[in-house]
Amino acid sequence: MSEFLLKSLDAEAERILSKYDQKKAATLPLLHLAQDKVGYVTPEVEAWVSKWTEIPVVHVREVVMFYSMYHKKPAGRHHIRFCTTTTCALLGGDKILNHLKKKIGIDNGGVSADGKFSLEEAECLCACEMAPMMQVGDEYHGDLTEKKVDEIIDVISRSPQAAEKS
Amino acid sequence: MEPILSRNFNVPNAWKLSVAESRGAYETARKTLTSMKPDEITQVVTAANLRGLGGAGFPTGKKWQFLPKETTKPIYLVVNADEGEPGTFKDRYILERDPHQMIEGIIISAFAIRSHKAYIYIRGEYVEPFRRLQSAVDEAYAKNFLGKNIFGSGWDLDLVVHRGAGAYICGEETALLNSLEGGKGFPRLKPPFPAIVGLFGCPTIINNVETLACVPPILKNGAEWFSKLGSPGNGGTHLFSVSGHVKKPGVYELPMGTLLREIIEKHAGGLRDGRKLKAVIPGGISAKILTANEIDVKMDYDGLKAAGTMLGSAGVIVMDDTTCMVGALYLACKFFAHESCGQCSPCREGTGWAFKIVKRIYEGQGSVKDLDTLLKIASNMEGRTICVFADAAAWPIQSYITKFRSEFEEYIGRNVKLEMQNVK
Ligand SMILES: Cc1cc2nc3c(=O)[nH]c(=O)nc-3n(C[C@H](O)[C@H](O)[C@H](O)COP(=O)(O)O)c2cc1C
Ligand code: FES
Repeated sequence: MSEFLLKSLDAEAERILSKYDQKKAATLPLLHLAQDKVGYVTPEVEAWVSKWTEIPVVHVREVVMFYSMYHKKPAGRHHIRFCTTTTCALLGGDKILNHLKKKIGIDNGGVSADGKFSLEEAECLCACEMAPMMQVGDEYHGDLTEKKVDEIIDVISRSPQAAEKS
Repeated sequence: MEPILSRNFNVPNAWKLSVAESRGAYETARKTLTSMKPDEITQVVTAANLRGLGGAGFPTGKKWQFLPKETTKPIYLVVNADEGEPGTFKDRYILERDPHQMIEGIIISAFAIRSHKAYIYIRGEYVEPFRRLQSAVDEAYAKNFLGKNIFGSGWDLDLVVHRGAGAYICGEETALLNSLEGGKGFPRLKPPFPAIVGLFGCPTIINNVETLACVPPILKNGAEWFSKLGSPGNGGTHLFSVSGHVKKPGVYELPMGTLLREIIEKHAGGLRDGRKLKAVIPGGISAKILTANEIDVKMDYDGLKAAGTMLGSAGVIVMDDTTCMVGALYLACKFFAHESCGQCSPCREGTGWAFKIVKRIYEGQGSVKDLDTLLKIASNMEGRTICVFADAAAWPIQSYITKFRSEFEEYIGRNVKLEMQNVK
């Protein structure tokens, strides 16, 4: 399944490789590219990156394990990183996080039953001026209140894209 | 004071080249590359007393001079945009709101150090800032401000934007190099220093986003102008990130050496109504904490060093009297335990062990003996590892417990877990 998806990325992979002085340096960008397409880092993704970078698969896997942004199992279509570091916590992040957990029905590391959301308790996302804050997909949302969290989640849940985007 | 680094922060669409150019972007790079010699630029930057704004405060011109004079290898410029220090968000402002000033700084600096290839390593979670930055780089290429024969100067420069993947340690410069090479972000032993053996084994200069954004104004207005803006030996202005219990959290550009009290009370709008100051972290979570009566310090490298802490990343976290220091230490220890790369045992074991003990205290199960165990763990982590992450993890433990010991003891005596906020 993911092999077919990966094939469609070959041209982009070549373009990425051409920017680097050494092939192995393309490891992180290729993993990002493949994960965005496939949804998480499957064994096929690791093999595909290994093929392009000429790095043994075991080394690719070590790299995958080291970085928090690579999903080792399927993530929700909207991955949420909720900041749990100092400034966010001092401004009531804990309480809002608990509210969010109830709202989407999952705990840290979980994926909602409909596959829409996954949740990660993150360390400082360096947007402390808008604490408490979280990242939903690519986007930062700050000055969170329980009400604001409800609004953000409701908008996503209603949007048809939530179901399509993979 | 005329803003230098933040002058375009509130100009709509300043990240687009047409707007940036209407505000004078790339004029200094054009002039510099067509009229100055590389070594002359380095001399100006040295005389300006520009010190690295990524945290360590190393003099930038001096760092550039560590490069070998003769080399057959390519020289790389690597831009550290991996901003991760809790309490810090200034580089994000530059990347999102005025990437062209930094790109212009990269062009001038690369020319000065004789580099034809630069990489920007940007924190992986910064997806929106990455898109803006990439589009700014693409626009600069389209106008031939990057690429071959820039400004007709005969100088070629390629610039690649590289995304990280979520690991605080990759902000440490040698971990960053390993990560950029496609590996795990493990810091390297120094020496050899990156200026001699850096990216792909070649001479490399690593500079922070903000450091490079200072370079065009320095070349435009001169070294003396820049050095006079700051305090002796600490040239220029600095972007202070202020967060926590203040009315107006945000990024404030102020001269080096501005008093911490002034930053909190004047610029950040003071504390929330009816609250008293309890403590301040002056330079990102790694910096030792200051108590409410220690804030008449100058915010520069030398001033904070004299106060027993550090300027670090200039991330100021303000805590009012609702803050429970046990909770605050719990948060700091959680961060370091989570982010230790695991390469050196004192750090891997020490951060994990310290977090477990602090968690126990925080949950109301601690004993006073635990405090001494924590201090012992901290002193066994300091200075025993490849990079200073372990030292940074030890400093909050030492400073919170020493400066707020009676609060820790009282908390332990109560044997209950308190809420993170509004404890008093
Ligand atoms: C644990 C650790 C994390 C660091 N994180 C960053 C960072 O996020 N951004 C940064 O510019 N420098 C960071 N640094 C400092 C870099 O190692 C390096 O000193 C800096 O990028 C050099 O640039 P400068 O001289 O322009 O400041 C970190 C250092 C350590 C030890
Ligand atoms: S502490 Fe939450 S973004 Fe920095």
